[in-house]
Amino acid sequence: MKACDFAACNHCGSPETCNLNQLGIGCRGSVLAVGGDIELRRRLLEMGFCNGAHVEVVRRAPLGDPIEFRLRGYHLSLREEQAKYVRIAPSA
Amino acid sequence: MSSCCTPPTDTPTARGTMTVALAGNPNCGKTTLFNALTGLRQKVANYPGVTVEKKTGRCKLPRGKRADVIDLPGTYSLISRSPDEQVAMEVLRGLRKDSPPPDVVVVVVDASNLQRNLYLVSQLIELGKPMVVALNMIDIAQRRGLNVSAEKLQKELGVPVIPVVGHKRRGIAELKQAILDATVAPTPDWPLPEAMREELLLVGGGLAILDSDEQGSEFGVQGSAKSEDASGIRRLRLRGSADADRPGLPQRARLDTYKAIAERLLIGDRAADLQRIAAQEPVATLLSNASGRLQTLGIDPMQADVEAHYLWIEGVAQKVLDPGAPTTDDNRILSYAPARTLTERVDAIFIHKFWGLLIFAAIMGLLFVTLFWLAKPIMDGIQDGIKALGLWTTSHIADGPLKDLLNDGIFNGVGAVVVFVPQIALLFLFLAVLEDTGYLARAAFLMDRLLSKVGLHGKSFIPLLSSFACAIPGIMATRTIENRRERLATILVAPFMSCSARLPVYTLLIGTFFVSYGPLRQAGIMLACYALGIVAAAGTAFIFKRTLTKGPATSFILELPTYKLPQISQVARQVWINTKAFLTKAGTVIFCLSVILWAMAYYPRLPETRIQSIRQQVELSQARDRIDVSNSGKPDPMAYSRIPLVQKLDAEREQRVAAAQAEYSLSGRLGHLMEPAIRPLGYDWKIGIGLVSAFAAREVFVSSMGIVYSVGEVEEGKTADLASAMRSDRYTSGPRAGQPVWTPLVAVSLLVWFVLAMQCMSTFAIVRRETNGWRWPIFMLVYMNALAYVVALAVYQIGSRIV
Repeated sequence: MKACDFAACNHCGSPETCNLNQLGIGCRGSVLAVGGDIELRRRLLEMGFCNGAHVEVVRRAPLGDPIEFRLRGYHLSLREEQAKYVRIAPSA
Repeated sequence: MSSCCTPPTDTPTARGTMTVALAGNPNCGKTTLFNALTGLRQKVANYPGVTVEKKTGRCKLPRGKRADVIDLPGTYSLISRSPDEQVAMEVLRGLRKDSPPPDVVVVVVDASNLQRNLYLVSQLIELGKPMVVALNMIDIAQRRGLNVSAEKLQKELGVPVIPVVGHKRRGIAELKQAILDATVAPTPDWPLPEAMREELLLVGGGLAILDSDEQGSEFGVQGSAKSEDASGIRRLRLRGSADADRPGLPQRARLDTYKAIAERLLIGDRAADLQRIAAQEPVATLLSNASGRLQTLGIDPMQADVEAHYLWIEGVAQKVLDPGAPTTDDNRILSYAPARTLTERVDAIFIHKFWGLLIFAAIMGLLFVTLFWLAKPIMDGIQDGIKALGLWTTSHIADGPLKDLLNDGIFNGVGAVVVFVPQIALLFLFLAVLEDTGYLARAAFLMDRLLSKVGLHGKSFIPLLSSFACAIPGIMATRTIENRRERLATILVAPFMSCSARLPVYTLLIGTFFVSYGPLRQAGIMLACYALGIVAAAGTAFIFKRTLTKGPATSFILELPTYKLPQISQVARQVWINTKAFLTKAGTVIFCLSVILWAMAYYPRLPETRIQSIRQQVELSQARDRIDVSNSGKPDPMAYSRIPLVQKLDAEREQRVAAAQAEYSLSGRLGHLMEPAIRPLGYDWKIGIGLVSAFAAREVFVSSMGIVYSVGEVEEGKTADLASAMRSDRYTSGPRAGQPVWTPLVAVSLLVWFVLAMQCMSTFAIVRRETNGWRWPIFMLVYMNALAYVVALAVYQIGSRIV
């Protein structure tokens, strides 16, 4: 059962994990791990992508990238190439 | 190292003036608070060696004390590597020679974004400086159903927490009092993994032993660097805690200081004060062993550290929020805001796939119209005004070099600087409003995809758009781009955008040599010029991304802040500060270059004998023309009217003198000197003079062609005389004698040159100012002109073989 309209997202309600960029619009999940080179990883962690924080995909820019997220009560956007380094456990 | 050599009597209170650093996340309202604290007593400068602005101000405190307030660049963290954040970190740690170490740190916390703001606070706690928290935007938090209690936060942190509303000046008096009462926050017991605690103890203990050994000169470093290296940890320890060396201090507190250093080393903090220690044996081995052991346990020290901080933060956040706040549900972290906030509802339209782009286009259209058309009459007015002022002031001075210097050198130079003010002021008006409202981040969000493909940033859009009006405000607008590499790339390609100064040149060349094409196809050529500039910008940016500005994947982490109403006073201040910075920093360079260019076109003067002989020659030919008219066979009643008026004859004579003077001057000689180099492009020495003079501003090319072709002053839209003179100009000698100087192909080659070449001293000056050095403006001059030369050469050479 998909709760979103984003084609690449197959994970709504499933127990599997995915990368943050694969999560569909309106979908939520909690952060499992953060990858990438040390600078990017540090930055993502420091922005709050840690400790199982809940993330919601708010929208994508009209041209498909970047992606807007909500976490810890604020909004930020990441490019696809960075979002893919955040491993997510999607929640229904 | 002023921090350790400061005598104990020189305490903040003893001196009367203390240093206060204002720290905080971007978008936390820090600047508003800075303005509220310091009023108009502000200074804006650059930190030496970096392109980061240094803002300082004076502030009166209670009890007759005063404070120098440093407004640090907005920063998310004290470790990350952007130049802005590095400067903030270095000032806070007292590592910059240009800034005194702060006595008190005021950290601004956005209550509506508590957790992420507290992350910086958690790092500042480790700094061990007296600290005050200014709790901002409580109203916004409240509107979201979040009641952040300042009292509870104060209890949790152990430092004064003052609720403030910057633009209403609420809480400012209390904040000033709190600065005097600031205390050092107790370091929380970070919930680190047990293994990491053990390693910290191990490394910290190791550092303590090494440090005590060093007094016995056993620290394992050879040579002259020994003493300096050996004292490294000691210095650091002193900075970490001023009391660390006091006799009688419990051993345990000393060990804590070493553990704090160990923690910074282990998580990869390589600030200037740590670099040497980290690289030095046996510390390096100690560190790599510790990291290795942790790694086998699956622990990354850096990640463990950030996570421990956030764990602590989550606990604090839960305690300081009113019990009503929805912090315990399944989405405890995500859903601080149960209902859709106003910002989210506005964004549903403003960054909507269709409406968002439409609104974006409308706003950008307005910006462009403002810069391109609205600013024009003001700019013309300013230039005419300054010219008139010059003529008025010099009206009592006899004709001669002094008068010319004042009018054409000094006043013209002032005009060349001041003329940019309307565009710069208007652009910064726009930028300040867009930034303060929060729309700037949305604009970047919308456009990023388009620009990231060529290595630029969403925030490059407005600078590039503005550059179509003029590269000066455009390049100044790149300040909104935080990432240095993307900012530099944007600066380097911005002058490719066809600015309004190129327009008169395009019009002259297209109007003169493509008459038969008709208006539609002429417009097509014009469009092609603009397109060529855009393609060149995209292409070079793409190449820079892979070469010059290459580096680890840029982290595009763009916060989309809450929408806010702009404050008029803040906007006005932004406009004023940036305009002033332009006038003082770039203005002087533009003025000097302008006077130099004037002198190059003015000296050396034509000898009087030459002037006389030119006048005689012209008179002779004029007389011959008259005879021709009167001897034209039959008596012609209209013949007399065809004889030009005396004034016109005089004017023609003086125009010929001016043309000869132009050729005789330094820039004229330069034009001749350049001829062998520019001949393959299809240009002669006269065009060479035009190119030299165009360095003052590209449109000057037209007026200097007017002088060279003896047609006098060329007014806008009245280029018919110049056009016919150019069309009928033929080579008088050399292999091409008799052939026309100008062909449509020459015009195309010259158009290409004008699209691509960097020939604007003001751009040069502004790039120097914005990159804080001569390296990039010189690089820009070389690469753009090389590109322009190669492409114009190819166009002419290939074209002349086909045609």
